[in-house]
Amino acid sequence: MSVPTLAPYIMKRPWLMRWMKPLSHWYFNNAGYRKLGLRADDLIPEESELMQRALKRLSPKEAYDRVFRMRRAFQCSLSHQLLPKDEWTKAEEDVPYISPIITELEAEKTERQDLETIVMKRPANKA
Amino acid sequence: MLSRSVLARQAQRAARASWQHETRRGLAAPASGSFSYDSGDAQGIKVASRDQTGPVTTLALVAKAGTRYQPLPGLTQALERFAFKSTENRSTLRIQREAELLGSELNSYHSRENLVLGAKFLRDDLPYFVELLAEVVTQTKYAPHVLHEEIFPLIQLEQKKFLGSPLSMATNSAYGLAFHRGLGVPLYPSSSLPVAKYIDPEGVADFSNAAYAKPNFAIVANGATHNELSKWVNEFFTDIPAQPSFQITSEQSKYYGGEERIAHGSGNALVIAFPGSSSPTGSSYKPEVAVLAALLGGPSAIKWSTGSSKLLLATAEAPNLFAHTKSTIHSDAGLLSIALSGTADDIRLVAKPVVDALKAIAQGVSKEDLAKAKALAKFKELENGQATEGSLELTGAGLILNGKPYQIDEVAKNVDSVTAEKVQAVAKAALEGKASVSAVGDLYVLPYAEEIGLKV
Repeated sequence: MSVPTLAPYIMKRPWLMRWMKPLSHWYFNNAGYRKLGLRADDLIPEESELMQRALKRLSPKEAYDRVFRMRRAFQCSLSHQLLPKDEWTKAEEDVPYISPIITELEAEKTERQDLETIVMKRPANKA
Repeated sequence: MLSRSVLARQAQRAARASWQHETRRGLAAPASGSFSYDSGDAQGIKVASRDQTGPVTTLALVAKAGTRYQPLPGLTQALERFAFKSTENRSTLRIQREAELLGSELNSYHSRENLVLGAKFLRDDLPYFVELLAEVVTQTKYAPHVLHEEIFPLIQLEQKKFLGSPLSMATNSAYGLAFHRGLGVPLYPSSSLPVAKYIDPEGVADFSNAAYAKPNFAIVANGATHNELSKWVNEFFTDIPAQPSFQITSEQSKYYGGEERIAHGSGNALVIAFPGSSSPTGSSYKPEVAVLAALLGGPSAIKWSTGSSKLLLATAEAPNLFAHTKSTIHSDAGLLSIALSGTADDIRLVAKPVVDALKAIAQGVSKEDLAKAKALAKFKELENGQATEGSLELTGAGLILNGKPYQIDEVAKNVDSVTAEKVQAVAKAALEGKASVSAVGDLYVLPYAEEIGLKV
């Protein structure tokens, strides 16, 4: 599920972006998931129909990597440890890999709803 | 008793009816010009149209991408199924809903040589559908999940359907025997072929770039004026690659022949095939093959009657048997095939008489029989040419391969010139050469080619 976000609003305004960027870096580095080797998209809850369909559309490589990251993080969590620092997720590795698929699926869903409730008016000359 | 007002109303209605009738005719008059297709060029794409009267237009894009030309098994089917799926602009759902709202029918199918994407719609909507076809051709997204979620299951179902039908298995096996690769590639891969191994989204996209390049497809319309069609093609088919990403080629078909027997649990079929004629636009066109096919005949054209074609006379002992002769034409070769389908005992019983009937034709054809067969062959050609679907594909194929559309008037003339000697010669050549015989079903009962007097 895509969450409501201010990002597009901020990215449209360069001055605001300059302000917010260090703040967001600071926030994400302190969120802790990177220290377990996860990516932000790994934190999206899986328990929804939409997410299940999105997971099916991942390429085999991406799906494998996702499971690997999760198992590693789980292991760390069980043993109350963090990964060694060189294995932390770097900021440039933390890219969305499943949220584009989710947005696409949501767009499909809204499109279906729109089409189902459409009211058709033919131009008069074609009647 | 008729009151005055009733009469007046009738008169009014009659007057109105005649007036309406006349206006309709007036509109149709320039439209019903010709039976044959006008062909031309728009944006370097071959375009043909026939302005048949009527409110419905049939539009088809015929691409040289049938099973004969596919580089890997199943690619043609995958490309066929990807038609009208999500494009860069529109989703699958939107395309379907828009087509429904306009009142139309979208379809795609393939034959041995061609892949046809077609639409049937009301005359006014021509621009919309030309644009849609252009979009399908250039902007379809060949997404992996569509292939896995929607297309593979359909291909697998087709494979199962193919495996379940002894007659189509026998026909395709006869094609394989006759032409080996190229034309001999089965229309549907059998289910033991791991299609998923050969097809991936990139491969399909690559094949589409080759199949939907300017030299490899034609646009044919039925019920649209040539000017109108060219105008819209000019407007919408702008970013079509001029050269294919790889050359789509197939060797000149060569006839081999042979025998194949496949065990099958649910039905029996025997297909006997001989080299036939190419399409009229091709090189080895022999109208006498069509006459021979008509002479041998198929099921009776009249309901509840036994019919009097040679094949029906030969199979009279087995009335429940399906027997059919067909002359299939392709761009550079063709196949004359006799298909028998029914119980194994019936097939065994009539297989020999059927070959004997062909031998009798090789000895001599009576005048009446020939006249009857010619009339039937001519009728079948003309009927096929007049019906929209058949002629669309033939016209498109003729345009791509030979630069000439399929003109039914000429074909009819060719049938007229067939003589008894020519038909005899074809029958004789068929019996002397190697036949392609394929038996599918209960192999203990089904006869071998040698047993029924054929050379393989």
